Amino acid sequence: MKVLLIEDDLSVGQFVVEELRAAGHHCVHLADGPAGLEAGRAGGFDVMVVDRMLPRLDGLSVVRTLRAEKVSTPVLFLSALGEVDDRVQGLQSGGDDYLVKPFSIEELMARLEVLYRRRASFAGDAVTHLDVDDLHMDLLSQTVTRGEQVLSLQPREYKLLEYLMRHADQVVTRAMLLEHVWGYHFDPQTNVIDVHISRLRQKIDREFERPLLHTVRGAGYRLGGNTDAG
Amino acid sequence: MAGIQTQAKPRQSRLRVREVLGSLTFRYIAKYVIVLSATVFLLLAVLYALFSRNYFNELGASIVDELDSLQIIYRGQGMQGVEQYIKDSVTRPAFHRFSYLVLDESDMPIAGDLPPDSSYEEFDDGWLAFQMNLLNWGEEIEVDFLARRMPLDSRYRVIVARSYRDAVNQAGLVVLTLLRAMIATVILGVIGGFLSASRTLSQVDQLNIQLQRILRGNPRQRLDADAQKGYVRDLALIVNDTLDQMESLMQGVRNVSDNIAHDLRTPLTRMHNRLSQLRNQLDDEGREGVQSVIEDCDELLSTFNALLRISALESGGQLSDAAQLDLTELLADVVELYEPLAHARGIAINNRVDLPFNINGDVDLLFQMFANLLDNAIKYSPGGRSIAIELQRASGEDQLTVIVADSGPGIPDAERENVFRRFYRLESARSEQPGHGLGLSLARAITQYHGGALELANNKPGLQVRVHLPSSDSGD
Repeated sequence: MKVLLIEDDLSVGQFVVEELRAAGHHCVHLADGPAGLEAGRAGGFDVMVVDRMLPRLDGLSVVRTLRAEKVSTPVLFLSALGEVDDRVQGLQSGGDDYLVKPFSIEELMARLEVLYRRRASFAGDAVTHLDVDDLHMDLLSQTVTRGEQVLSLQPREYKLLEYLMRHADQVVTRAMLLEHVWGYHFDPQTNVIDVHISRLRQKIDREFERPLLHTVRGAGYRLGGNTDAG
Repeated sequence: MAGIQTQAKPRQSRLRVREVLGSLTFRYIAKYVIVLSATVFLLLAVLYALFSRNYFNELGASIVDELDSLQIIYRGQGMQGVEQYIKDSVTRPAFHRFSYLVLDESDMPIAGDLPPDSSYEEFDDGWLAFQMNLLNWGEEIEVDFLARRMPLDSRYRVIVARSYRDAVNQAGLVVLTLLRAMIATVILGVIGGFLSASRTLSQVDQLNIQLQRILRGNPRQRLDADAQKGYVRDLALIVNDTLDQMESLMQGVRNVSDNIAHDLRTPLTRMHNRLSQLRNQLDDEGREGVQSVIEDCDELLSTFNALLRISALESGGQLSDAAQLDLTELLADVVELYEPLAHARGIAINNRVDLPFNINGDVDLLFQMFANLLDNAIKYSPGGRSIAIELQRASGEDQLTVIVADSGPGIPDAERENVFRRFYRLESARSEQPGHGLGLSLARAITQYHGGALELANNKPGLQVRVHLPSSDSGD
């Protein structure tokens, strides 16, 4: 994955670059708005990470300009601001995701992965079913089966599983689940998600030999057949 | 639990009477009337005493004069002249003239109309008082007399008496007149006092109510000084100044803690990042150790974030042009999210909110607030109990109240205000429950940001959190 990082805070920038490279990604780091805009125009990146506050040209303007020029590279905004309208503003100006500083690198990586894969799988039009290992979800009849067995899920469990299956073999963080499965951005005091996950795990994994739903320590969860990671 | 107070009319009017009785205006007027009546009554008593004293002095003087006249007649015309004088005098009705008694040396009556054996009682040097029955319009009545004894020479003594029934009558008349005057004074005084005081006092009352509201929950608000006049306006201005100073002091303290939080966040983030890098270079055992340090780091960061978030909300004024959202749907989502957690602890969540209620607000903030409240309720509820959520809305009011009630240990009355302070935690909670002590502060900041208020009450047993929010539906 080729990442363009536009971030003026050098310590954050350096850290992100090192982590992304350590994970095997290619990363270009630029520290001001106009330079970032130029690089974005030139293209060749899979995702962009843009800080909202940049010298000379702010991040919102950079992305707005790129979108006006039909550059569709997915953008993740970084911001030190936690204000209420910030997220909405960021998404309105063409951003695809939004992360408030300080963030954990796992959260950033998970979100970038999602943005990258979404773009890659964009070609496949209307999906009617999802498959992960021997787990099968029929999106039309809204039924889930594993092997030969039909699983009965509550509506929210179904949505949770659907999200996990759409991002199979990717790390999905708790914040991402809250945002996409429940539709709220908030900071739970307790790990409420864990209880939902363990309920879901009961239904899809308990009676089967091979577990599919894995906990990734310090990051979140991953649904997939291979057990090595996490 | 108390039902919805939709038909609260009689209760309201009773409340109003109590409010009026307890109001500053009423208490002031009541005191004013009591003092005024007492003063007028005292004045009346003094007047009466002066009047009677005067009357008795005059009565005494007239008796002494009459005795002098008798002395002069006796010297000029002897006992015959005195007898003639007395005989002429007693033909007039006994009420309005003197009565006489002339005695010789052996105490035998010689002239006069007083009975010789009256029980004369001497009360002062030569002065006597007694009672005698007189005919008044054919009816016998008892009349009080004042009399004085005087020797005419060595043989004869004379007593002159006069009834003071007139004096009593006249005093009675005076008292009655004064009493009427007093009642009139009190009535006029009350009306005058009421008119002059009620305006000012009701202004002061208003200030009182406003001030209480400010102190209770909305430190940003100020008294409406422009609506007042004269010294009440001055008072309001002074109070506003004081509130400004208080707020800036509080703001100062808050800024210090916010700055600390803000400044610590950067090195903490750096530390977090370095630890993450370090973790990847370690073997499995080392990873575990570093991971737990990273988690502590995350917790600290999340505390700082919550702190800064509260400040941003508190200094950000109020929500403007918010989207309309269905509170019932939001509550259902919160409950749905927390239900498995509650279930795992053997607690049932009883959500009684079913009808849609629209309000204007920020979805994520409101969700955060109710999540915090529900999270607290689950933490503090004993297993096997239930948590109740309900929504109340008085008809015709543009405010609704969401109640989250648990049956945990509750919060003692004395601590109710403290728990809203940042990092404040009850002693019992400090040792038993995880959390950073910011949940309720954040919940309150969010309510206030929405123009509402957060209140804690006793659920008997347990805690009842009442969230008042402005509703966007017009009351029905």
